Amino acid sequence: MNEFEKHVSRAFDDELTTLRSHVLEMGGLVEAQCLAATQAYTSGEISTVSDIVETDRKIDVFQTLIEDECAQVIAKRQPAATDLRLILGVTKIVTDLERIGDEAKRIAKGARRIHGEGPKSLPPHTADVRHIAKAAADMVRRSLDTFSRLDTEEARQIIRSDAEVDTEFKAVIRQLVTYMMEDPRTITTSIDIISIARAIERIGDHAKNIAEHIIYIVEGRNNPPAFKESAS
Amino acid sequence: MNFHPVVRALGYTLLTLAIAAVVWLFGSAHAAWATLVLGLLLQLAYHLRQWIALERWARNPSPATELVGSGVWSEPFAHLYRHERDLRRQIAYWQEELARFGAAGQALTVGAIIVGEGWRIEWCNRMAEQQLGLNQQTDIGEPITHLVRQPLFLNYLTAGDFAAPLQMRSERAGDALLSVHVIAYGKKRQLIQITDITQTERVDQMRRDFVANVSHELRTPLTVLHGFIETLRELDLNPEERNHYLGIMAEQSDRMQRIVQELLLLSTMEAAPPPPTDERINMTSLLDKLRRDAEALSNGQHQVELIQGCHADLFGSEGEITSALSNLVSNAVRYTPAGGSIRIHWSSSAEGAEFAVEDTGIGIDPAHIPRLTERFYRVDRGRSRESGGTGLGLAIVKHAITRHQASLHIHSKPGQGSCFAVRFPAARVAL
Repeated sequence: MNEFEKHVSRAFDDELTTLRSHVLEMGGLVEAQCLAATQAYTSGEISTVSDIVETDRKIDVFQTLIEDECAQVIAKRQPAATDLRLILGVTKIVTDLERIGDEAKRIAKGARRIHGEGPKSLPPHTADVRHIAKAAADMVRRSLDTFSRLDTEEARQIIRSDAEVDTEFKAVIRQLVTYMMEDPRTITTSIDIISIARAIERIGDHAKNIAEHIIYIVEGRNNPPAFKESAS
Repeated sequence: MNFHPVVRALGYTLLTLAIAAVVWLFGSAHAAWATLVLGLLLQLAYHLRQWIALERWARNPSPATELVGSGVWSEPFAHLYRHERDLRRQIAYWQEELARFGAAGQALTVGAIIVGEGWRIEWCNRMAEQQLGLNQQTDIGEPITHLVRQPLFLNYLTAGDFAAPLQMRSERAGDALLSVHVIAYGKKRQLIQITDITQTERVDQMRRDFVANVSHELRTPLTVLHGFIETLRELDLNPEERNHYLGIMAEQSDRMQRIVQELLLLSTMEAAPPPPTDERINMTSLLDKLRRDAEALSNGQHQVELIQGCHADLFGSEGEITSALSNLVSNAVRYTPAGGSIRIHWSSSAEGAEFAVEDTGIGIDPAHIPRLTERFYRVDRGRSRESGGTGLGLAIVKHAITRHQASLHIHSKPGQGSCFAVRFPAARVAL
């Protein structure tokens, strides 16, 4: 009897580990997508864009798979407390990951529009776009690390760093507006760059959401009050 | 007297029995029974005392508190005590040994991770922490795929074919290029060995670029030469045309010769012993020569000015320093349109001395500056060749001054001019 119980809980543990592994595997794909998309934009090497669009479909499939697994675990094990929070958190995290994937696709498509007729030399503030892209990709990576380590301290740091990405995003927009006013011929390209910067900023927001879900998983509190003002 | 332990253990019992028997014979049966019981009780008390000592010691067996027994107990107690002591010594020895191996593993300059079943991390060293962003405190027991999530890495692990190492970039370690080997050993254990090959890859890339560039640079003048040789051979030309063509050919072969000479100069510098630290270079005459050369090259089209702020000299190889500095000066003349001005500064301070050439020329886009000293790197291919550059000048400068522990600092604004400054350390300066 005792052994049977142990076996059941062991199988349950395995199921939870698999679930976590799948989330992180999907996260790895999403991270790679972000990097590849930014690379396509900054280098003008748009041959990778179709790959990125293709991989995004894989990410969508992953999301459904993980959500099904979550439903299965809830139905079979009726988890409580931490386990339940983990599963609920996972369903939210995969939604955000999938959105990050979509934003990466958006960046890649924007890169194709900009560099469609051969690589173009980009306006001088491309460096800033590259910088916020790096900061946002960093946030995604750190949020997934945090999910693996369940480190709420780091999660709070991620939430804080989103503000930096937002500020830099606004600075880029201001620069681009000046650029467009100076030379109206650059408007088409600039608008595409704005949409790319916007997508990057959204990636940062989703990474922040993931960090919040992790705090929920560990502490069982939704939207910790200390961060309410900065989150709004 | 060396009796069997059982006999010794039973000795007092037998003695008690014997005394009881004597009492029985000479006294009453009651007295005999009483003697027997008393004797046995005494023995029980004695054994109980030993047992208490053993029990007390066994609770916290330590070689610091000695376990002593008396009589028949002394020997087994001594054995037990010695066994405990030896065991502890062995454990301490192996612990130390283990710590030594652990420390050696930590000190490795390659990353090493031991993973068990399910790719769970069992051990990793500091290098691996740095390379993959792991943390020994929190990540032991966690599947490595949870932290190193690159799809490339995951596919490599799940494919299970570890014959060839995997090359992947780690953005956690400043975009380093890593080579990952997976080596199976023991029962279901794998050693993951990670080498940083960023530098090797960069060197390889540079070598490939260099070979391609040399071939390209030599082929261009060679094609020209070849074309004119054909022309001269097949067409009947008048002497004037002939001389014109020969002039172009001489120009091109000069160019090739210059490239080969400069390449040889670079390779001589690479192989030569470090520049002397006791040979004094007379800077006043060198600076004067640089100014005269600049004026000659400029042919009156620029304003050349020498601002000598000090009379410090340098220690080093005169040939190398002269070729480095005159390269900088002739670059300034070549890249400054007619009417511009060129200023040569020479100054010294407590930290060392600085040679700088400032011009009002075409300037350099900041994007090009980090790569300027690469061999054959050109900002504008056409222009540089037109003005007779080989693409090796700044590479020679960089190489020569690095051999003198000096550093090159480039400041430039496109359209406004550039400033190339060479800073020599105090050890190379003679006041």
